Amino acid sequence: MTTEIAHDEHHVRHPEPKDYVKIAVVLAVLTVMEVSLYYIEVNVEGIGQRITVPLLLILSGLKFVIVVGWFMHLRFEKSFLAKFFSVGAVLALVLYFIALAALGAVHFFG
Amino acid sequence: MAELAHDPYAENALDIMFPPPEGGHGGHGHHESTGIDNRKLGMWVFLSSEFLFFGALITNYLLFKGRDFGADALYPVELYDIPFTSISSFVLLMSSLTMVLAHSSLARGDQEQTRVWLMATATLGLVFISGQFFEFTEFVNQGLKLNVNPAASAFYMLTGFHGAHVVIGVLMLLSLWGFSIRRGGLSEDHGMNLELVGLYWHFVDIVWIALFVIVYLIR
Repeated sequence: MTTEIAHDEHHVRHPEPKDYVKIAVVLAVLTVMEVSLYYIEVNVEGIGQRITVPLLLILSGLKFVIVVGWFMHLRFEKSFLAKFFSVGAVLALVLYFIALAALGAVHFFG
Repeated sequence: MAELAHDPYAENALDIMFPPPEGGHGGHGHHESTGIDNRKLGMWVFLSSEFLFFGALITNYLLFKGRDFGADALYPVELYDIPFTSISSFVLLMSSLTMVLAHSSLARGDQEQTRVWLMATATLGLVFISGQFFEFTEFVNQGLKLNVNPAASAFYMLTGFHGAHVVIGVLMLLSLWGFSIRRGGLSEDHGMNLELVGLYWHFVDIVWIALFVIVYLIR
């Protein structure tokens, strides 16, 4: 008798182990791209933070979505949970951005 | 069950505990009207609060990052070893893979593989923590102590709290592994525990994804 984990998700095909490995490879590639951007900014003149910072944030945002969506199974859960987490995350990010802007700390863009 | 049938609320209770099959899994007595297991919903709510917690610490770090604390001040950014931290990041990322493989193994009923992947995840977590410990030791040796300036304090608070979360995660993983060894496998209830620990572990990884970029890569 096999042991099954309790599921609340509607019946969508879940990734198999080889799919998870592919996702991990994608995450590793994105990490390599992030580190590459850092060294490009350090070593290549003319490529400043105005270019690299938005790209770094986009890459990390992609990794965030991939881990939350696939590894944490949020895309296979009920949509209520995804909305709950997404709306909260966006509101929190807006709040932190307002706080940083108000206190003059957005200089990390260069 | 007989006594429940006589309870005026029994019908609702029974419906909640054993909802009509929808071509798949039955209920397990923990569902709310959202259709999501209470424990899972509770973990997501907890992780949301952790999201706010780390957001506040990151904001605090960014506030002090670029400030001038004098000509002789030492800043964390001057001491970063990006190749070393990149490898640490990769290790933590791979631990998320092993965690989800543990979850997948248990879903297939393979207890032995579950234990293997649980131990792999815990090991990778310990490797990451060791790297953090080494990094902190190097920083302190080079003069960047906790109280040398607010930027250093903010850095240590942020990465230190993340490290503490990783340690807690490793303890939970080892506990699950121990349960599995002792009882010959994880039961259905413990299977939910594995899922909850998995959510926590992935969140710890996500926080590091943000930290690595914001703290280390954005100069």
